[in-house]
Amino acid sequence: MLGLDADRLRADLNRLLAFLFHQGILDEQYLQLQQLQDESSPNFVSEVVNIYFHESEKLLRNLRSLLMDREFSDYDKMGIHLNQFIGSSSSIGAKRVRNVCVAFRAASDQNNRAGCLRALELLEHEYCILKNKLHELFQIEQQRLLAAGVRYPMLN
Amino acid sequence: RKRQLLTEIVLRNRLTALVVDADTTCRVLEQLLLRSYGVQTQGVDNGRDAVTLIASGVKFNLIIIDMILPILNGLEATRQIRDMGVHCKMLGVTACSGESERQAFLAAGVDVFIEKPLDPEHLVPILRELDG
Repeated sequence: MLGLDADRLRADLNRLLAFLFHQGILDEQYLQLQQLQDESSPNFVSEVVNIYFHESEKLLRNLRSLLMDREFSDYDKMGIHLNQFIGSSSSIGAKRVRNVCVAFRAASDQNNRAGCLRALELLEHEYCILKNKLHELFQIEQQRLLAAGVRYPMLN
Repeated sequence: RKRQLLTEIVLRNRLTALVVDADTTCRVLEQLLLRSYGVQTQGVDNGRDAVTLIASGVKFNLIIIDMILPILNGLEATRQIRDMGVHCKMLGVTACSGESERQAFLAAGVDVFIEKPLDPEHLVPILRELDG
């Protein structure tokens, strides 16, 4: 029964991953991330993604703070934040977030404040989806590892 | 199994690399990717620290540097490193994807311009070349 739990959870994990790829939320770069995870660094993916979340939330706060300033005109600064966001999102395979950042950067390059505001709303929305889905993925993975661990206890 | 989607190589020589990127996610990932191939790495998050480290005499086989960096940007840091007579391989790895950015980075002194993310398809041929 416990083994079936681990198998069922693996199936859930694969289904969720397939969904995330199909929806374009993740791309193949995420698979490359998984390939860097091994026995010596079993939590590598979740650790790196947590770094990404931490950094991204700082960037989102900075972007919102810039745009909420009535006197705002520093599009160069906005471009720097967006470049960073594009780079980090690409590096973990966060495809939709990356694409929204690219559109946001285009609006910023044109000094289009209204376009930037719309892009920021969309970016915050996409980031929220990504974060929730990745948390779900990690939770299922944790449960799967627990279930597999119970199935295969340490033998003397 | 460990790197099924990555091209596996075994380096004969101990290579060293410096990763210069202000973004923690990118810097951590690039260093880990390099380490997965047995490359020893150091990381800094701004151009000035990169120049200072190189000026102190530390030698690297490879420098991976982003264009947008705080304190001293990637273009200027690259120029200063080359002006010191450093001839190691330099990869400009950046989220900036325009042709003008590419030309500017190559003119500053990087050997290769790569749009992020840094992936094995770009990295492995370079490591093979450095490994002789």
